[in-house]
Amino acid sequence: MSTIESELRPIPRVPLWRNVRVLRIVAQIVAVGIVGSIVYRLFDNLTTNLEDVGISTDFGVLRRPANFAVRDDPGFDIQSPVVPNLMWIGVKNTLMSAFVGIAIAVILGTLIGIGRLSTNWLVQKICTVYVETLRNIPPLVIIIFFGFAVFTYGPFPIFNPRNPPWQVKVPGTDDNLLILSNERWGFPSAMKDGNVGIFWILMLVAAIAASVMWWWRTQVNVRTGASHHRVALSTATLLGLGLFAFLALGLPYRMSWPAVSDSGRTILGGFGTNSGYLSITIALGLYHASHVAEIVRGSIMAVARGQSEAANALALSGFQRYRFVVLPQAAKIASPPVISQFLSLTKNTSLATVVAYPEIASLTASTIANGMPAVQMLVLLMALYLTISLTWSLILNLVSRRFKEVGR
Amino acid sequence: MISRGSTKHWQRVAGAVAALALFAGACSDDDDDAAEDTAVESDDTTAATTGDTTSDTGDTTSNTGDTEGTTADTVEVTQGGSTLDAVKAAGTLKCGVNDTLPGFGAVDAAGEFVGFDIDFCRVIAAAVLGDSEAVEYTPLTADTRFTALQSGEVDVLIRNTTWTATRDGSEGLTFLKVTFFDGQGMMVPASSGLTTLEDLADANICVTSGTTTELNLATVFASRGIPYNPVVYTTDTELREAYESGQCEGWTTDASGLAAWKNTIEAEGGEEQLVMQEIISKEPLGPSVRDGDSQWAHVVDWATMSTIQAWEYGIDSTNVDGFTTDDIGIQNFLGQADWDPGLGLDADAFANVISQVGNYQEIYERHVTPLGLPLEGSVNDLWSNGGLMYVPPFR
Repeated sequence: MSTIESELRPIPRVPLWRNVRVLRIVAQIVAVGIVGSIVYRLFDNLTTNLEDVGISTDFGVLRRPANFAVRDDPGFDIQSPVVPNLMWIGVKNTLMSAFVGIAIAVILGTLIGIGRLSTNWLVQKICTVYVETLRNIPPLVIIIFFGFAVFTYGPFPIFNPRNPPWQVKVPGTDDNLLILSNERWGFPSAMKDGNVGIFWILMLVAAIAASVMWWWRTQVNVRTGASHHRVALSTATLLGLGLFAFLALGLPYRMSWPAVSDSGRTILGGFGTNSGYLSITIALGLYHASHVAEIVRGSIMAVARGQSEAANALALSGFQRYRFVVLPQAAKIASPPVISQFLSLTKNTSLATVVAYPEIASLTASTIANGMPAVQMLVLLMALYLTISLTWSLILNLVSRRFKEVGR
Repeated sequence: MISRGSTKHWQRVAGAVAALALFAGACSDDDDDAAEDTAVESDDTTAATTGDTTSDTGDTTSNTGDTEGTTADTVEVTQGGSTLDAVKAAGTLKCGVNDTLPGFGAVDAAGEFVGFDIDFCRVIAAAVLGDSEAVEYTPLTADTRFTALQSGEVDVLIRNTTWTATRDGSEGLTFLKVTFFDGQGMMVPASSGLTTLEDLADANICVTSGTTTELNLATVFASRGIPYNPVVYTTDTELREAYESGQCEGWTTDASGLAAWKNTIEAEGGEEQLVMQEIISKEPLGPSVRDGDSQWAHVVDWATMSTIQAWEYGIDSTNVDGFTTDDIGIQNFLGQADWDPGLGLDADAFANVISQVGNYQEIYERHVTPLGLPLEGSVNDLWSNGGLMYVPPFR
């Protein structure tokens, strides 16, 4: 042992200033220090200047009441604190517009994306014109078009006591299926009427039963090779049990039809909304559909040609080729950019102020202009948008990971 | 692969934590300093009361240092200290105005800004720079006006803005002489047959965002228990589309604004409009400036008030040149005598205002009377005629 040790030359110690690991750590500390001091300097500058001109930098003021009312939120108490009450309405309105807009964008975008690859000349051209037109117009212009050209000055009637709106009746009854005007719209909706809690507990049981059905059919398929039919059988289990629960509990939900109120100015029952909501939602849905269509088209074209040829060699029909070979692979490629579109659509709802739709950004602007401190309100607004965006990013990451696990 | 990825991840997390720690450290350092300062001060006070001469001297010195530091900071904040000097150096006055309200602040067919508020921008430019045309107008929406003034984008804000406690208290600005006493009204199409606010129960009411009218509407209707639905636009032009198309049954804003829009809509072939009798609020409109520069506030205030003083003296743009009088007060006002109130203005500043822009009566009758709001007998008449226009003496 001792001979070997003496034969080894002692490794010269690398001095600290040449040690790569030390240098890396030092460089990072310096970088963080520089960024941190710049941020701190800016922050300090801001707070000092604000205090000097007598503007509060304290978050306690956010508990003050907003003292103004919100469109189509008749129950809002104007004396309740800005946070959380008013901001909650804003978040609710933003998400209500974003989710419906996303549904429009995905469904329409997928159809148009597939349509652009159609062999039918007319279908292909219509889809191309749609994509090239809407993709090249700024979303704000589309929103203004819907807000003012379609709803304000469009073919819809005025809605006031002297001018009743159009009411589309459910055939054979006096119920309104739809109320249309240039401002308020009414749609039917479900209204709870009974044991809703028990109904949803039973639905949970039904969902568990459907999952067990799925698992069992997969096992059968793996063991015997028989067709699993797990989608059809699980859905049938869920819907069957759900319907049974619904009937057994004596119809816990019933349809609520929209009706014009006695004052002739508002809509009672159903789901009543305004042209601002419809403008922003439809406009953003159509605009982002054009982007989704391009993503879908690109993803389908990105699936290796050999896959389609192999499907043909197996004598799969056109539908089967898409359903079992092309679309599953295209979905993998398409999902990250499509989810980015969701994020982008959610952020674009902040353009709704032009059509007087009270989403989170326009409510924040109103509160600031009505005496709330701008810095605090904007920090809050940024935090809310960040939360929504990071949630979408999280979903995107989970989806990507899932696809990576399943593999190509 | 995996381990390397996770190392990077951990490095990032560590970096973020370090940044946060630094931030927290920096902030808490500051707090500590403040605490120490307070501690030192209180120590010194104790020392002073016990009559320790040495520490007393030290105390005085450090206090002086502190005061100097604070002054320097304030100077830095208000950009060179004096808005008056900055305006004189730039040679133009930056005035925040409305560009969509006929009669008060609008752009005419020739592309020029015209209106009652615009004339008061010109009044200040005439007093400070001797040239009523040396104004750079910045059109602002109700939502952006205070931020523009706070950030120094404009030197003075004259945009039919109501003086309220909250705005004086928390927007970092100071309201000056009220140039127009107004109140909030409600306009409906004449054919609708609506005459009172109660007739508007459940109705859509159009209002602009970030205005006192939005707040008054909410508080007055809530207090009276009238349900309604606000449709809130950021600009009057969008709001007008919504109102004229019937999306809103009522349009509420200051009565002067309603008179202006009633005129415009009817003149452009729209439906006949009715402004309801009832006035639901007090809306004193006037110029405002940033907090913390009282010299500039005085200049804007006295330039504005000079139009009313001239009216009281019977001086207008037609007779101001070569106005001869034995009244020493008037001679002082017009800069004919060697009188300097120390506002930082030239001796002929007020004479320039009257000759280039006119007195209050002329400004009013040029822009507001055509809207159907006569001056005589209104609250905006001179105090000696029973109105509210009263200014402190120019002496």
